[in-house]
Amino acid sequence: MNDVVIFASVLLILIGMTAAIFNRDPFDKLISISVLIAGVFPFIVERGFLDVAIATALIAPLSTIFTLMVCRRVQV
Amino acid sequence: MLDEPIRILIAALICWFNFMIIDLIFKLPERGGVSGATAIAQEVEKGGGKLNGGYMMGNIVSSPDASAGTLLASCGVYCAGLPGGLFAALLVYIGNRICYDPGYAGTTGCITATFIVFGAVQSGWFAASDFIAGMVIAILTIQGLSSVYASRLIARLWKIRCRLLRGCT
Amino acid sequence: MIAIYVCAVIAVYAALRVIIERNTMRKLPFLNVVSFAVTGIIALLLPHPITIAAAAAYFVGSTLESNAIASTWAGGIKKP
Repeated sequence: MNDVVIFASVLLILIGMTAAIFNRDPFDKLISISVLIAGVFPFIVERGFLDVAIATALIAPLSTIFTLMVCRRVQV
Repeated sequence: MLDEPIRILIAALICWFNFMIIDLIFKLPERGGVSGATAIAQEVEKGGGKLNGGYMMGNIVSSPDASAGTLLASCGVYCAGLPGGLFAALLVYIGNRICYDPGYAGTTGCITATFIVFGAVQSGWFAASDFIAGMVIAILTIQGLSSVYASRLIARLWKIRCRLLRGCT
Repeated sequence: MIAIYVCAVIAVYAALRVIIERNTMRKLPFLNVVSFAVTGIIALLLPHPITIAAAAAYFVGSTLESNAIASTWAGGIKKP
């Protein structure tokens, strides 16, 4: 995997991480964690762990959905 | 074969037309499919865009539509040829059902894109990777630059579509 | 093969637009662009038939997640 793709993935992880730390609104935090997970994926696929990639791709959104179910938005 | 940047730009145009035409035929800008799409449309309208454009952008976010179908078809043809594209169409169909979407825009877009990409690769003018990069550029122009101008463009195309083919409210 | 560079650059650009945008619902289209770009990167890294399943699973999962975020955010509006 060449340097540009590694650099871009690391940037995605760092951008997602800093945004998740500094955002206040919980929905913004969840969106930033999505960006972070997007940055992790190329590393998993590049080593050939396609089954791990499929499993992570199905588990990570499910955990977001469960988080949303627990902290449902309060009615205005 | 031409140079790679030109091939990618031409592939982007082909992908843009494929997914826009199929999404307009399947009436994506008419209404929001789920409540999330309607919420996105209302926020886009508050920012200065048009509501119909917002509905289509919301529908693209909430469920695999023809844009997703075109991208996965290109990936399928790149990885495994024509059977790969058709396998991607099956996965898009399953994805549509998982996201509670009763429509067939994604599956149709995927099947047409499979044949377009496979034909382009067989003709020798393109490589399948050009279509992957081209589709990412195409979705960037709709979702990634300015929601205001993109929604106005989609609303204008929606009016043209309603005049050409009947069947919109 | 500059296709993968195109996808990588678009991914970083869209991620920056996600965090710069203030309105929560207007972030979601930019997140969608990130998903498209990363799906393209996954497919271009490893041309194997199973990669189609991995790319499709990632894309459908990310779409489902955006759908859930948007629907939960919208959940407070509908009540009369």
